[in-house]
Amino acid sequence: MTPHDDDDMTQVDRLLKAARDGEPDLPSGLMARVLADADAIQSQPARPPMPARPLWARLSEALGGWQGMGGLVAATCAGVWIGFSPPASVPDAGALILGYEAGVEESSTAELTSFGWDLDEG
Amino acid sequence: MPRDTLSTLSDDALMVLYANGDPAAARALAGRLLPRVFGQARRMLGDDGEAEDVAQEAMVRLWRIAPRWRQGEAQVSTWLYRVCANLCTDRLRKRRHVALDEIAEPEDPVPGVERKMQERSRDDALQGALNALPERQRQAVILRHIEGLANPEIAAVMEISPRAVESLTARGKRALAALLAGKRAELGYDDDTS
Repeated sequence: MTPHDDDDMTQVDRLLKAARDGEPDLPSGLMARVLADADAIQSQPARPPMPARPLWARLSEALGGWQGMGGLVAATCAGVWIGFSPPASVPDAGALILGYEAGVEESSTAELTSFGWDLDEG
Repeated sequence: MPRDTLSTLSDDALMVLYANGDPAAARALAGRLLPRVFGQARRMLGDDGEAEDVAQEAMVRLWRIAPRWRQGEAQVSTWLYRVCANLCTDRLRKRRHVALDEIAEPEDPVPGVERKMQERSRDDALQGALNALPERQRQAVILRHIEGLANPEIAAVMEISPRAVESLTARGKRALAALLAGKRAELGYDDDTS
């Protein structure tokens, strides 16, 4: 560092010291505004803690609300129905697992006729 | 609670009193902290009007956090300096760079107020040089050399290590010296020891 640099640094030190010692007063009205904020915030009623939400509501929200839940229920019902009564083109998983070589061929109207609904038509 | 008693309490204790509804606690806290936070904002922004807004906003955040303040985890003043620094950073990012040349030239001295004008022109020169520093250097120099904080506290405010604070303040001061070099005569330091 050269003597000239020392002079520059001394000048900076003096300026910083003057700034530290000579901080101006607060602008008029600032303290009053800050205290008014403090009073307003202090007088606000304390916010009650959020009530714990039931498990069902949180689960429903996680799955996408009533739309998501509706889709899930529809998909579940479709899956159950296909499991009980698979279409002809779909292998019967239950039969395969239990060792049947082939499922029994059924008429496509078997379910309807078995309940006697065809008799109503006379 | 009597005012004399409040003046002996820590900032932490005053935060608890404020949260419990003691109206005098806010006055005691604001009396201690508002001048510091306003001074920091004024030096960071170089604009009194913006500094007022920032100081008021920082204090609002202090009032709001009081009920949830956890004693002993951080100093109230350190927390507030950090809030103020972040608010200043937000403002500075929205603003264009202000060059040293854009700082208003001091007016011709009027007899009787010459000394006041000299002080004003020195302060303007310092503020212009501070404005020209990179933001982190400016913040470190202001907290260390104008607000008078110790390096560990500045490290907590800026969320950096004390060594990084040392480096920032040293580089900041060197940059200030370079920016103000050649202005010695203009600032009256050639024939003045004040």
